[in-house]
Amino acid sequence: MTTTSETAQAAPPAASTVPPKTPRRSVRAKGRIDPAYYWMVVPVLALFAFFITLPALVGVFFSLTNYAGYGDWKFIGLSNYVNIFKDPAILQSYIFTFVFALTTTVVVNIVALAIALGLNAKIKWRTGIRTVFFIPMVLSALVVSFVFNYLFSNTLPVLADRFGVTPLATSILANENYAWLAIVLVTVWQAAPGATIIYLAGLQSVPAEVYEAADLDGAGSFRQFRSLTLPLILGYLVINVILGFKGFLGTYEIIVGLTGGGPGMATQSVAMRIFSGFTGGDYSYQMANAVIYFLITLLISVIQLRLIQRRGVSL
Amino acid sequence: MSAIPPSRESPLSRRALFKAAGLAGAAAVLPLAGCGSAPSSQNGVTTLRFMQNKPEVVAYFNRVIKDFEALNPDIRVIQDFNEGNFVPGLVRNDPPDVVTRGFAQATADFVRKGVFADLSDHPAAATIDPKVQDLVSSWGRYNGHETSALPFSLAAAGVIYNRDVFEAQGVAVPTTWDEFVAACEKFKAAGITPIYGTFKDSWTLGQGMFDYLAGGSLDVAGFFAKLTAKGAAISEDAKESFTSNFGPVLPKMLELAAFSQKGATSKNYADGNAAFAKGQAAMYLQGPWALSQLVAANKDVRLGSFPLPVTNNPADTKARVNVDMALSITRNTPNMAAARRFVSYLLDPSVVNAYNEKNAAFSPLKEAPAVENPQITGLAASVRAGRYYQGATTYFPPSVPLYNYIQSFVYGKNGEQFLSALDDEWRRVAERTAV
Repeated sequence: MTTTSETAQAAPPAASTVPPKTPRRSVRAKGRIDPAYYWMVVPVLALFAFFITLPALVGVFFSLTNYAGYGDWKFIGLSNYVNIFKDPAILQSYIFTFVFALTTTVVVNIVALAIALGLNAKIKWRTGIRTVFFIPMVLSALVVSFVFNYLFSNTLPVLADRFGVTPLATSILANENYAWLAIVLVTVWQAAPGATIIYLAGLQSVPAEVYEAADLDGAGSFRQFRSLTLPLILGYLVINVILGFKGFLGTYEIIVGLTGGGPGMATQSVAMRIFSGFTGGDYSYQMANAVIYFLITLLISVIQLRLIQRRGVSL
Repeated sequence: MSAIPPSRESPLSRRALFKAAGLAGAAAVLPLAGCGSAPSSQNGVTTLRFMQNKPEVVAYFNRVIKDFEALNPDIRVIQDFNEGNFVPGLVRNDPPDVVTRGFAQATADFVRKGVFADLSDHPAAATIDPKVQDLVSSWGRYNGHETSALPFSLAAAGVIYNRDVFEAQGVAVPTTWDEFVAACEKFKAAGITPIYGTFKDSWTLGQGMFDYLAGGSLDVAGFFAKLTAKGAAISEDAKESFTSNFGPVLPKMLELAAFSQKGATSKNYADGNAAFAKGQAAMYLQGPWALSQLVAANKDVRLGSFPLPVTNNPADTKARVNVDMALSITRNTPNMAAARRFVSYLLDPSVVNAYNEKNAAFSPLKEAPAVENPQITGLAASVRAGRYYQGATTYFPPSVPLYNYIQSFVYGKNGEQFLSALDDEWRRVAERTAV
């Protein structure tokens, strides 16, 4: 889709664009499309339909029953949906998930942008430092969260005790009010490198001349950031915010590794509640929950896509 | 756009290639769909899949299976210790043939849905102690009369104590609540942690202090029978509710929690086993499953168990028991005859008694020998006299995050909120499973 007519004209005839008026028989002119395209699309479509769409539809179907995942069942209409709206524990998991996703998105983007700015500057050992910053990205989230679990539960309290920082002397993971902050911290640690890469790409697309011009005009570095860098990489910011928010709404493994949804009910995410239905004999009820959550994320995605189109960014 | 120009030379060969690839793909999918229903016998040897629920005894069962196969050359048994595969197996309609499960609400749910075959006419059923069989049938029977599971191992839980610490402080095993509290105070005064707490693993709070105190202060089975009978019509003010019955249990839970070491909130079960085995506390609210772990951590530790006294009348003291392993055969197994023979072998007195003696549990047979393991002899009197209860936590449907609520209560100390949350959850589950 990126080829414009300009490049098409400049390109030699052997290039991969279809010249509009060549005597060669073009595929479209003959009214038939090369079957190779179908061979590329159809298997993927079939696999997608079979492994993603069909199970999702089966799930929607069972959300209208009292199916436990096995054994006898019957239709119960919409009562699973009605019951979900009356369930404060489910509501709490929604509140937690959204507060978590919003906070994490904000923090990840601030941290990632700061790191990207630093890594884009002409600093010593830039390549080496970049590598170090990207290590969290290649580690499995579950491994990371188990390591942090140990740090929070054992190492940090011992250190805090020795240095007399009493508020930290008990594990933050055992605190119902602050455990979610630990989850935010670990998620940011794990997710920031990915966002940093996108920001770095954005920063490298900004031509150096605009900064030279700004220097001549006497703009300070903060002014340069606010009036030049930020507007020029806004598209990358939008992408990061959208992808990040969508990902954090489905947060699961980091919570499993850190708190398991506790202490108490403090850090139960929606995804965890949905998954609990499978082992808990609550399959159809949590399927209804999943359908509701799907509709909510669909709505958010549509709004975000609109925003993207308005900004003229393409994913 | 047209990256590949339409090839004129050999369209057939390419198409044939794609076709072949498509067929190969389909062939790869077919065997997946095909498996599951056919009887699994080859060359006259029937293969049984045996799923057992205790990963710590895998090696033990491998030996049992070897002995069984030597006696029954026409049967091969494959052990699967990943209990998490059971429900997926049911969903795929391909469950294992013989299953052991801890018997509680979740398993009772399978029974009610008719997942297991009737074993009431199995010869081994008559050898089981009816009191122990009652623990299984009290959860409800399929069609009102079937025997869906035969108990294999009865675990009795109480307070595990370090005999050396008790002797060094001159403390005797307490038989009343007051004696118990006095013992805790004495340890505390001597600078010893009375009870090692592992609050980070919320299940340890549930099976430990919550179950022990609830079981000791009220008739748990009766309470849940009345509660279940009430169904979705339950309210907080009803005399059957948690709020109306569990009130007296809660202050004692907080009392026990206060006897735990500092920082118990960040310790988990594995930490607890390591620390208690090293003598860092006098008592540990855990069941017999912890004993082998404790000995593994310190082979010289001298342990004993006693049922937690909850009132000041020693005759009220009861042990928490659970049918730790109950044998079932799945109803639709194509290998029924072989499965029944395997169950017969497992319930042979020599096999079942040896297993329980070895694993610090009680045999479910009528004619079981007295236990000699000093780690659990303290519980034997209660078990023999039938002074026991099944833990309150085991009555909850798994969709209620009960352990999280218990942990929440121990941290936040808000008893009213805790009990009304339990009432709400129970009512909501009853509402959506009753329809």
